[in-house]
Amino acid sequence: MTSLKLANLSKRFGGVVASENVNIEVPAGKIIGLIGPNGAGKTTIVNMITGMLPVSGGTIQVGDVDITHAPAHEICRSGLARTFQNIRLLGEASVLDNVMIGLHRHETSSTLSALLGLPASGRETAALKIRAMKLLADFDLTEFADYPAGGLSYGHQRKVEMARAVATNPDFILLDEPIAGMNNVESDALAEIFLGFARDGKGVLLIEHNVRFVAKLCSHVYVLDGGRLISEGTPEHVLSDPAVITAYLGGEDA
Amino acid sequence: MLAQQLLNGLVVSGVYALFSLGFTLVFGIQRILNLAHGAVFMTGAMVAYYTVEGGGPLWLGFALAIIASGCLSVLVEITCFRRLRKTGDEEFGGVVSSIGAGLVITTIAQQISSTQILRFPFETFPVVIFRFWGLRVSMLQLFMAGAALVMVLILGYLFYKTAFGRRVRAVTDNERAATLMGINPNKVYMQTYFMAGALAGAAGVLVGLAFNSISFVMGEPYMMFGFAIIILGGLGSIPGALLASVVFGMVQTLTIAYLPSGLTDTIIFAALFLILLVRPNGLLGREDAGNLGGRR
Amino acid sequence: MSNFFAGYLPLFDLYCIHIGLALSQFIVLRAGVFSLATAAFTGIGAYTAGILAVDFGAHPVLGVICGTLAGMLVATVLSIPLARLRGVYQAIATVAFIQICLSLNIYAEGLTGGALGLNNIPKTVGTGTLVIFAALATYLIWAIERGRIGRAFNTIRQDEAVAASLGISIRKHQMLAFAISGALAGLFGGLEAYHSYAIDPRQFGFHLLITILSYVIFGGRNSVIGPLAGAAFLIILPELARPLAENRMVIYGVMLILVINFMPKGVADTTIDAIKARRLKAKLRKAEAEARS
Repeated sequence: MTSLKLANLSKRFGGVVASENVNIEVPAGKIIGLIGPNGAGKTTIVNMITGMLPVSGGTIQVGDVDITHAPAHEICRSGLARTFQNIRLLGEASVLDNVMIGLHRHETSSTLSALLGLPASGRETAALKIRAMKLLADFDLTEFADYPAGGLSYGHQRKVEMARAVATNPDFILLDEPIAGMNNVESDALAEIFLGFARDGKGVLLIEHNVRFVAKLCSHVYVLDGGRLISEGTPEHVLSDPAVITAYLGGEDA
Repeated sequence: MLAQQLLNGLVVSGVYALFSLGFTLVFGIQRILNLAHGAVFMTGAMVAYYTVEGGGPLWLGFALAIIASGCLSVLVEITCFRRLRKTGDEEFGGVVSSIGAGLVITTIAQQISSTQILRFPFETFPVVIFRFWGLRVSMLQLFMAGAALVMVLILGYLFYKTAFGRRVRAVTDNERAATLMGINPNKVYMQTYFMAGALAGAAGVLVGLAFNSISFVMGEPYMMFGFAIIILGGLGSIPGALLASVVFGMVQTLTIAYLPSGLTDTIIFAALFLILLVRPNGLLGREDAGNLGGRR
Repeated sequence: MSNFFAGYLPLFDLYCIHIGLALSQFIVLRAGVFSLATAAFTGIGAYTAGILAVDFGAHPVLGVICGTLAGMLVATVLSIPLARLRGVYQAIATVAFIQICLSLNIYAEGLTGGALGLNNIPKTVGTGTLVIFAALATYLIWAIERGRIGRAFNTIRQDEAVAASLGISIRKHQMLAFAISGALAGLFGGLEAYHSYAIDPRQFGFHLLITILSYVIFGGRNSVIGPLAGAAFLIILPELARPLAENRMVIYGVMLILVINFMPKGVADTTIDAIKARRLKAKLRKAEAEARS
């Protein structure tokens, strides 16, 4: 069984240590949580995994593939998709177009046929449209297909982003604070979607502030503070860990 | 000989400094590359010329040039850039808008001057040459260097030692936060653009006097030099622009003196190109010239 | 009657050539590359074709092919260093490049004729050829836009981080955009050379840069129709009235300011978007009505 493994991951900016000795494993079919107070270094980890930030030490592996130093666009090809904290959809493109771009990774028509508009390219575009529409149907977004994505409600935009991430057919999905700013109804709907990912055999790394949400969904949770892992285990274990409580609420001298 | 060329170079640097400071100031505060800056520079020269040609004294021409260029610069800001700040498209839109503004200004100038090359009447600036230590320096050169120095010092004082300067720096750092502190960004921008334009206009007059040749296209080469200088110094950095002006002025004077002509331009732009490749942040810049983050 | 059209033929020829250049500018902007170097590539294509004809008596087809290849090659090479830059830095670099080409052109008098330009190029390209190439270029860009490369360009332009996270190689695609842009510019530069007896360096400097940019800004940067409409409008406009022609540059300048401020998407694209929005609304209204009944 494959998993996404971060081994001894560390990041230094000059003399400042942003992350150190981070060891995280996300097995296929499981939802793993990563929590921590503000400034703990979660974003740094995300950026390192997705190739936006160079790694100072340690390794990142998707299954057998070492993606530690892979450029950003190759990360997707190794089977890892991500969503963004601040929903980066292409606002003016239609919802359908947004999801279609997610299918880019699977396009096989040659550059030449794409350049010259040869029939092969046209056929592929048509096939992609059908696949994209199916994905929209899976996420209950069919009615919005032609809308400019920027005009949708926040909750719907999140779903479009999920659809786009799923379109890349990933083995692992990295969710960067997906329910920020949502009410319980909306976040419950997303929770169902995430459980669906796990059922499909994908490994999910959920980075969230909402500790209750994480506790509900995740089988294993890691806690980050000051760039280091201060606790890990089942949600119950982690939430009652005094080190974690201190990190979130401040120590005795606070 | 070398010392003479170095002296000449220093004078030229002063003029470049006046031109480039305004250029980099606007970029630093708004991330807008104002391609109409060269036209404002040219306007300064023209205003001074027509004042003198109409019988006015040179000092009046100088003063009017500075005021007119400053006002023109503010006009450009209001008509071309203000709206773009709201839509957030300053980078691309600013370039396009300022190209348009520059076009309008130079074409109007072309009509006014009937596409002629204008020359100041003889002895507008007294021709006096001083000699010392084997060097030869004209009163005009002294005036140019002096004027440039004085204006740079005034700018420096305004920028670093007054409340106004603090406001400018606040708005540069974070416009919204500055607004919350009660600073009116529009006013600050207008004042900054006025200063930038005034400096450019002054540079225009000095160049007009030095080469005694004023035309509606005189701003174009200076725009290119300006690019090179502010890139070299770092976009948005005032000390950088100063340093780069000196380097540039020296290098240009020396290459003209010692290398075959016609090659100077190529060398300058090739150097600009190389700088962009190797160190786009320039000597003292703090911008991030290449990033993988989203454009917004 | 035929005299009426004959009078406008040179204008039409100009339009055909400038369509190619506008499309060359269009495609790089589509991919998020802030390059203004089309004018330089055009000059390279024109001079390559011209020199081959005048100095080597080459066949026009060979000349045009070499012009296209020269433009494409230089653009591809240029894209490598430019890949590390973004935004205004890219723009400045490409403008510096135009200036370098101009200066080198004038300096290499022996080869290019310097400031006096290249003369006596056989006029072998007529309106028919220009129309065919203009149509082909339009088809090429239209096909690219509809296919996966166009989608990738679009994504890169709007959000590089998203593009990368979806597996799109930004470097490869931007190099491709440069190559296409250079090829188109080189091609139409070559056609221009064989169409107009003589070329001189000033033709491929800032004037051309501003003209081409105006087409794309005015018409729109979003759909293929944009550059076509923009070029048509801006070429016809000065012909409508004397005062317009005499003040062409001022009008271009004012237009650039107005369009980028008030209709940043360009006239043609804003219109297209409005039509699309209206259609969407109508569809919605119909769906609601059906749901109610």
